Amino acid sequence: MMNLAESTTQKLERVFNPRSVAVVGDKQALGYMWLRSLSHFQGKVYSVQIDPNELPGIAQLGVQNYPSLKDIPGPVDYVIAAVPRAVAPLIVKDCIKKDVGGVCFFTSGFAETGTEEGIRLQQVITDLAREAGLLVIGPNCVGIYNPKIGLRHNPVQAYGEGGTVGFIAQSGTHATLFTLAGTGNGIKFSKSVSYGNAAILDSTDYLEYLKKDSETEIIGMYVEAVKDGRSFFQCLREVAEKKPVLIWRGGESEEGARATASHTGALAQSSVIWQTLIRQCGAIKIDNIDEMIDTVKALLYLKPAKGNRVGLIAMSGGQSVAIADTFAREGLRVPQLSQSSYERLSTFFNIIGGSYRNPFDISSSFLMSENAISNLANMLDVMEQDPNIESIVLELFTIISPFSHDLEKPDPLLDTILEFKDRTEKPFFTIVTTAHRETLAIEIRDRLTGKGISCFPSFERGARALKKLVDFYRFRREQHLN
Amino acid sequence: MTSKIINNVLKSGRTVLTEVESKQLVAEAGIPVVETKLAQTKAEAISMSKKMGFPVALKIVSPDIIHKSDIGGVKLNLANAAQVGKAYTEIMAAAKKANKKAVIHGVSVQKMAKPGVEVILGMSKDAQFGPVLMFGLGGVFVEVLKDVAFRIVPLNRRDASQMVREIKGYPILEGYRGHEPANVTVLEDLLLKLSDFVDKNPQIKEMDLNPIFAYKDGALAVDARVILEPRA
Repeated sequence: MMNLAESTTQKLERVFNPRSVAVVGDKQALGYMWLRSLSHFQGKVYSVQIDPNELPGIAQLGVQNYPSLKDIPGPVDYVIAAVPRAVAPLIVKDCIKKDVGGVCFFTSGFAETGTEEGIRLQQVITDLAREAGLLVIGPNCVGIYNPKIGLRHNPVQAYGEGGTVGFIAQSGTHATLFTLAGTGNGIKFSKSVSYGNAAILDSTDYLEYLKKDSETEIIGMYVEAVKDGRSFFQCLREVAEKKPVLIWRGGESEEGARATASHTGALAQSSVIWQTLIRQCGAIKIDNIDEMIDTVKALLYLKPAKGNRVGLIAMSGGQSVAIADTFAREGLRVPQLSQSSYERLSTFFNIIGGSYRNPFDISSSFLMSENAISNLANMLDVMEQDPNIESIVLELFTIISPFSHDLEKPDPLLDTILEFKDRTEKPFFTIVTTAHRETLAIEIRDRLTGKGISCFPSFERGARALKKLVDFYRFRREQHLN
Repeated sequence: MTSKIINNVLKSGRTVLTEVESKQLVAEAGIPVVETKLAQTKAEAISMSKKMGFPVALKIVSPDIIHKSDIGGVKLNLANAAQVGKAYTEIMAAAKKANKKAVIHGVSVQKMAKPGVEVILGMSKDAQFGPVLMFGLGGVFVEVLKDVAFRIVPLNRRDASQMVREIKGYPILEGYRGHEPANVTVLEDLLLKLSDFVDKNPQIKEMDLNPIFAYKDGALAVDARVILEPRA
């Protein structure tokens, strides 16, 4: 006999990769966002709606409408329900009769309201679904995103090309925002899911699914609470040994102090235990969406970090001090280079108006040099060869934009950076800081990102992402030593 | 199999173990603990002290008095029979003064342990993740600086090893400024034993082993406090 977790994972396979989707209750007031989100879905799309006022709008989108799920001629793998909450039990019953794979309730107004009626209705759909073995995602969520097959929950989300990043979020907004912002940062997704009130399926079920999903190599999570902490702990431990798991836990600040009789009990606050859980399992602790983006980016684009010693190249004296301070503050080391590196640097580096101890201040040897490009290539190579350096960071600034202004023309600086990125064995990324005109900085960041060159918008964000990368690989090494 | 001590305490309608009971339970977990006996009369306290060898410590044993030293219920470094007798009388008077209705089992008698690096091992239950263990250095390090590390039960060797090294005060265990170092492997062993014991005895709600004296060749629990889950 198949165990419960095993069968849930198999059922989720159908729901995450549906060949047919039905939307129940999409309407003008929502801007038909569900049907529009499915405009590039590769399988069959059906609508279920009984309000005659909504039918012309649905017909205009070219979607076939039916009065009920049971009237749809073929099988339905995934149902998205955006119905009034009182209708939810009926939809669950129809889903069971239709033998659908699973249903996502966008509908809210259940247990999250704390009202008697909301709690009762959630219990009704939970009992019905559990008895029949129907998967319910949510309620109070936006459900599944699978870009490869065009299954989306927002009409602006990317589609067509899948990636290797999976995301599990209690909050629908975070699922939407991270998949959108991630795409703009060069992150491509395998699957994501928002699961709301977790009436039937909780974070552990989705984590278990993504653990086995061959397309998913990195897993991000936004979670506030888990229903069964013991199984979440065990599952996380197993997954994190195989794939990096990033956990952003929301609601930390709401922890109240508990009255306990022991020192241990008084100190073991819930937020502390969450941090413990993350550390113990070898997952990566994330505090906000920027950190989620930056750290996923670092894991995707940077070579594995062997240690915390970083070589810093900055465009000016002031920036070289600031970047070194920031990286040191985040717990990274900015060491001296080896003697042979200094000997090599002394042959071409202009120390009048510059410095190369680490951090490098390259204003005289780059911004104000005729040999700017070859000097930079040599500096990067010095960092690459130096045994004291385990990661390399290049600041590019916008006060004097070193890039060509014509985007169509080949850019020797961009080519030099790209060439180095392709051959380096060390984590390497760029930082483009605040500009007099922020659009200019964004333009340069996008150009770099477009070439697959990792770029961060501040010293802090770059340093923090690198520190998380370093800690992650150190934990991995310790794990394999034991 | 459930511990006899746990069963007996629950049967008597209590959830808080006395010092003597707590130490018996800690010994059951395989953790070395200083020999501690319950004396119900002054004469008993004196004869037990003589058998153990001076100096000894006397502490009030009462389920109604949790913070023993705060009320004058603890006397340390008693060097002879006369001092033990006097301490017994003073402790009893202090206990009655602090709480007239307190049920008093007697006083505990224990040999003063050789001082070592003070550490604390603790256990409590998290609402979501169940039993967790805590490790830290004793005294101000835990009480004021809260320099402690947690792990969720069950712990493996790597957890124990990382946990001990996670506290800021770790260099003190390595032997700070000529002080004798503590045997860190022994401390890891204690954490693993406690994890195993807690895993097998879900009736335990909270534990403090505070302090434990860590030596270069071992460790010894000097005081312990155990609280059980109320009976279902």
